[in-house]
Amino acid sequence: MKRSHLLAALVVFILSLLVPAVVQKDFVLQILFRIYLFAALGLAWNLVGGYAGQLSLGHSAYFGAGAYSLALFSGRLGVSPWIAALMGVAVALACALLIGGVSFRLRGPYFVLATIAFAEVLRLIAKNLPEVTGGDVGVQVPALFHGNVNRAFYWAAVGLTAVAFATTVAISRARFGYYLMAIREDEDTALSVGIGAAKNKLAALLISAVLTALAGALYGSLFLYIVPDQVLALDVSNEIAIVAMLGGAGTILGPVVGSVVLESAAELFKNFFKEAHLLIYGVLLVVVVLFLPEGIIGTLGALLRRRALLGGIKASARGVTGD
Amino acid sequence: MSLLEIDHVSKRFGGLRAINNIAFAIEENEIAFIVGPNGAGKTTLFNLITGVFHPDDGAIRFQGKDITHISPNHAARLGIGRTFQLVKPLRNLTVLENVMLGAFLHTSSASKAAEQAREVLKYLQMEKVMHFTASGLPIALLKRLEIARALATKPRLILLDEVVSGLSTSEALALAEILKKLPEWGVAAVGGVEHVMQVVMSIAHRVVVLDHGTQIAEGKPGEVVRMPAVIEAYLGAKYKELGL
Repeated sequence: MKRSHLLAALVVFILSLLVPAVVQKDFVLQILFRIYLFAALGLAWNLVGGYAGQLSLGHSAYFGAGAYSLALFSGRLGVSPWIAALMGVAVALACALLIGGVSFRLRGPYFVLATIAFAEVLRLIAKNLPEVTGGDVGVQVPALFHGNVNRAFYWAAVGLTAVAFATTVAISRARFGYYLMAIREDEDTALSVGIGAAKNKLAALLISAVLTALAGALYGSLFLYIVPDQVLALDVSNEIAIVAMLGGAGTILGPVVGSVVLESAAELFKNFFKEAHLLIYGVLLVVVVLFLPEGIIGTLGALLRRRALLGGIKASARGVTGD
Repeated sequence: MSLLEIDHVSKRFGGLRAINNIAFAIEENEIAFIVGPNGAGKTTLFNLITGVFHPDDGAIRFQGKDITHISPNHAARLGIGRTFQLVKPLRNLTVLENVMLGAFLHTSSASKAAEQAREVLKYLQMEKVMHFTASGLPIALLKRLEIARALATKPRLILLDEVVSGLSTSEALALAEILKKLPEWGVAAVGGVEHVMQVVMSIAHRVVVLDHGTQIAEGKPGEVVRMPAVIEAYLGAKYKELGL
């Protein structure tokens, strides 16, 4: 990423912070909150699913851990909400250690299966322990912000996205980022140059879990009430993965673009097509998987690289004929 | 003390004796070749040295240290680099990035890794394709990329699994000229080849011949090709009597 790109990202960040000065309507701010929240989630997922190439379809575990920890530690044990949110991060880290520690030693589909299974187990626990979690009825979540709530949550989501984005940029430039890509491309090769594959995959998952848990706490706290089938559902896991893949897994900008496209499309379809919006959503996904398997940014990037390469070949051909 | 000691190593896969009681040693800065037909056990031997598999019997020592039960990434850290017979490039990364991953073993700085990678690529005469993604390279360059990546880890020993197979004779000889200079990098090399004897004869200091997992000869290349057991394994028993 060039300096000019980073500057552009900084400008976008500052403009995003200024949006509430212009946009006052609560429902618009809530849509924007959702776009940024899923951008942050997509960026978090991208570290594991994109850079390290380890497909996770169970990020709802960390998301739900964040939301439920805030609700339970604060609501039932009386811990202050922000401390409870941090405890949610700790719980998510523990979940990630358990899933990654066991399944990253194996190759093949074990990790993705473990992620789905673990998230489902958490959902079933939340549903079936009404004394603790409120069960299907759900549980109240304390407010993290007071006053102009929608604006505050919007800013928090923008901030989280910025943190996730900065983390991604830093990792993609560091040795750690190269290690993750090497593991994605070929684990044997990665091992042959001395990369501890299991250790690095786990590190990526832990960072991802931290960001996801924070997003979960924000989400729960905005709605003030959560039920298992909302924050621990497979739908959440899928949506996080789809946002990243639609934009371009393994690219820096992909998850952000994916979230803008998917979340605004979902909102539009909901208004225009009523109940049929899920159908359109599905068709959109099929189209992307078939025609843009590398995602929007991945495909654009490949096109640009090809043009640059062709340009270079043409230039050198001219040089040859010029002699 | 030899750089690498293979001390009566055996490995079975079920009923198949892939490697049977093999023993030889490699000295510092030496270029050795393990020669043998397809299925002789060359790749298995490399996998045993790099910890992909572990021997059933015997021991492997590297710089005097027992590495019999090492893990693959630990082997690389100790200074054993390897290439893969079926090339395993990091396809979506550029050639430079592929080699940088080797260099990252000794530096965490991306710019230093890139600098070291460029040096290695220059040695392998690959500077021109540095910014191409690995997926677009022809096989001759992919074989070189394997060597470049391994060499960038600054190994003391590099295992070259069939680096010349699939290359034309002229490509193979050009690569041999490059490999000949490996000792200048302070690297000993063990190559495995099936049949490109021209390359072996021109650059090897030592040759080990395997047949069905058994070591049938070891010595200087000129001596080994005259040994009756080698002629029998390669050409059949009747040529042995001709005293080829």
